[in-house]
Amino acid sequence: MELVKKYVTEIVLILGIVVVFGTTAMFNDAYTERFFDNVTSLILRPASILGIFALGAAVVIIAGGIDLSSGSMIALSASIVCITTLVFCKLLQPDADDPTASVPIWVVGAAIAVTLFVALLIGSLHAWLITVVQLPPFVATLASLVGLRSLAIVMNKAVSKQLGAEAVIVNIQDSNYLLTSAPWWLPLAIFLTLAMLLWVILNFTVMGRHIYAMGGNEAAAKLSGIRTDRLKWFAYCFAALTASIAGILLASSGLSADPQSQGTGGELFAIAAAVIGGCSLSGGVGRVSGVVLGALFLRVVIDAVAKLITSGNSANYEGMIVGLLVVLAVAMNEVTSSTVGWRKQFFPGALGMVALLTIGLIVGAILAFSLTLSEQATNSWRIGLVAGIITSVVLALIKVLAYQLGKTKPAIQVKP
Amino acid sequence: MFQRHNSVFGLVVIVALAATIGCNSKRDSSGESGGSTMAKAKRIILLTNGDDPFWDAMRVGMEQAAEDFDLSSSNLRVVMDKNDASASGQVEKLRQYLGQTDVAAVGISVIDPNNAAMAAAMRDLQKQGVVVVTIDSDVNRARFKDTRFAYLGTENIFGGRQMGLAAKKLRPEGGKYATFYGIEGVANVIERNAGFAEGAGDTFVKAGGFADNMKLEVAQDNVRNALQNHGDLDTLVGIWAYDAHAIVTVVDEKAIRDQVKVIVFDAAPKAIAHLKQGKIDAMIVQNPYEMGYKGTRLMKALIENDTLVIRELYPDYVTATKTFSTPDGDVHHTNIRVVVPTGSPLSQQDFDEGVTFYRADEFDTWLKERGLTGS
Repeated sequence: MELVKKYVTEIVLILGIVVVFGTTAMFNDAYTERFFDNVTSLILRPASILGIFALGAAVVIIAGGIDLSSGSMIALSASIVCITTLVFCKLLQPDADDPTASVPIWVVGAAIAVTLFVALLIGSLHAWLITVVQLPPFVATLASLVGLRSLAIVMNKAVSKQLGAEAVIVNIQDSNYLLTSAPWWLPLAIFLTLAMLLWVILNFTVMGRHIYAMGGNEAAAKLSGIRTDRLKWFAYCFAALTASIAGILLASSGLSADPQSQGTGGELFAIAAAVIGGCSLSGGVGRVSGVVLGALFLRVVIDAVAKLITSGNSANYEGMIVGLLVVLAVAMNEVTSSTVGWRKQFFPGALGMVALLTIGLIVGAILAFSLTLSEQATNSWRIGLVAGIITSVVLALIKVLAYQLGKTKPAIQVKP
Repeated sequence: MFQRHNSVFGLVVIVALAATIGCNSKRDSSGESGGSTMAKAKRIILLTNGDDPFWDAMRVGMEQAAEDFDLSSSNLRVVMDKNDASASGQVEKLRQYLGQTDVAAVGISVIDPNNAAMAAAMRDLQKQGVVVVTIDSDVNRARFKDTRFAYLGTENIFGGRQMGLAAKKLRPEGGKYATFYGIEGVANVIERNAGFAEGAGDTFVKAGGFADNMKLEVAQDNVRNALQNHGDLDTLVGIWAYDAHAIVTVVDEKAIRDQVKVIVFDAAPKAIAHLKQGKIDAMIVQNPYEMGYKGTRLMKALIENDTLVIRELYPDYVTATKTFSTPDGDVHHTNIRVVVPTGSPLSQQDFDEGVTFYRADEFDTWLKERGLTGS
């Protein structure tokens, strides 16, 4: 029972993955007829890439910080690995029409090394801004969020101009570049290796315990003699490195670097995966297993939406669904971590009533809009209205239930 | 115990939402419009490069073709899937189609003609038996011709050339121009720019090309910056549909209409209104309606191996070998129109053969006949 209680987030996520996958399979035969292709190419592969940089985001969150730069770091890394490859190939074959048609393996290695080194520098810069300049992590990484993507665009244009033709998008023509397009297992293997490594660091090393301690209470950690600056350096460098690895994998998957679009919104997905996986944004709480499952769950849901909405752009719905999941995950964390548990009053007083009605309105509106857009139902507005009312009624019942439980049981039982 | 129930409840809400949509989706795709007992209808998908009113006209063309050629009786339906204006977005969508079982054909407006990953995904779709054609924007034909059956759409260099010819006629002494567009490196941007330079000739000097990453407010700032940084700029060229409005807004704001010529590509609804007011000198208009109509017809013919229709659109198609007898036989160009305001000095003779010339009121009639607000 203790084990179940400890791993409740992971258990719920596994159940969620099974339920979402199973429900989708009931309505779309893609999962049954093309099971292997769907699971490997459309779930495990993208989930692994998301999971890689979600691990980085999670370490920073556990350490009590936040990293908003991962999306832009992905764009910059994809650009560096491609542009470095292009430069080396051009030096090797200056007269070739298409110098990247066949990329030597040492060039690939060198390009990856350069990219990871730059990531280490960016991570160190974040640590310096936060520990020495004493910028809040939000501001320090916000600067990178807007700055790194811009840097990547300018870099691509400048270097490609130097090589002959100015371009923002850098394409690689070697279809075997970085073992590309082919193996779905490569991102998965990297993801699991990084997850294992991080699990060992967080659970079996002094540094790991210190990270939790710092995230829980930085002032207390400092007073206990923990060198928090070094821990922050590790956290932000790890985050930058994982985002960089994700950027390299995205470049290899798309055989191009397009800093205008690659990794856009990645930081929010990474934070969402970490939060859904049980990390607390107040720091000091979170497990690698939760983040791994959080990333997988997020991807399963996104893919399910793509399978179920076949009349338009399923990506339009991603934001709503991820937002809903994050709110639910944080609410769940609140319930599981709070001493009052289920008796917690989520809808107290007049503000609670307004929130309750607003949530009902949002649920109804989402359903009505979705059905209208997908041209699936003639009575979409009525369905939306009914769903909204039901949601508000259910939440009102929860409010009453919580109130009754709060009245009948003491919030904290003090043992003599 | 309650804690677990709470979180499971959350998941159930999401699945219920998704399932409600999915449930309805299944009901619809089993042929609401085509008969109640029909098996699951297969999709003919048109994958756009981004989102713009341009695609609305193409959607109308697709829907008209679906009706005219009775797609529902062939158990087919048309769907437009709008991309997020990125190459990676298109690659992901193509990979998603690979995992689906109800995709019969994909018409794609290729955003990055040199992207090898996109080419690989298109090949994989073909291997899976899915018909693949390019519409509106083609792949790099020298490298990736094999990734699709054929191309159907505008000849962008030719379209760009008509813009250049308009500029040349309006400013015979030459001038300095700037071009405005959404995304750097996209095929139609490169081709229309090159076409403009060719049509305008050596007397025109380029001040620069300005990308806005499909952000409308940036599009206006680009025009302001171009005018600020190049005092002698006298010709403003809108390469993408929404740039017309951005250019006109800034020209109005600075009250310099008498000093600059405005030439734009595509007929967005706002651009048409500006043209009628004489705020645009020439508008080069593609025919997305025709692309959607013919594209749908072509894809249906390919699915059903209707060689008569295929050969009607591609006369050089050899049925026996399923190849084309000429190098350019796999290209079908749709119509290019030039629209000018009433009283413009431009006439049909100023443009290349094959261009359809309209005055603003004539073009308005053409749109109304098809129930369109733009093209």
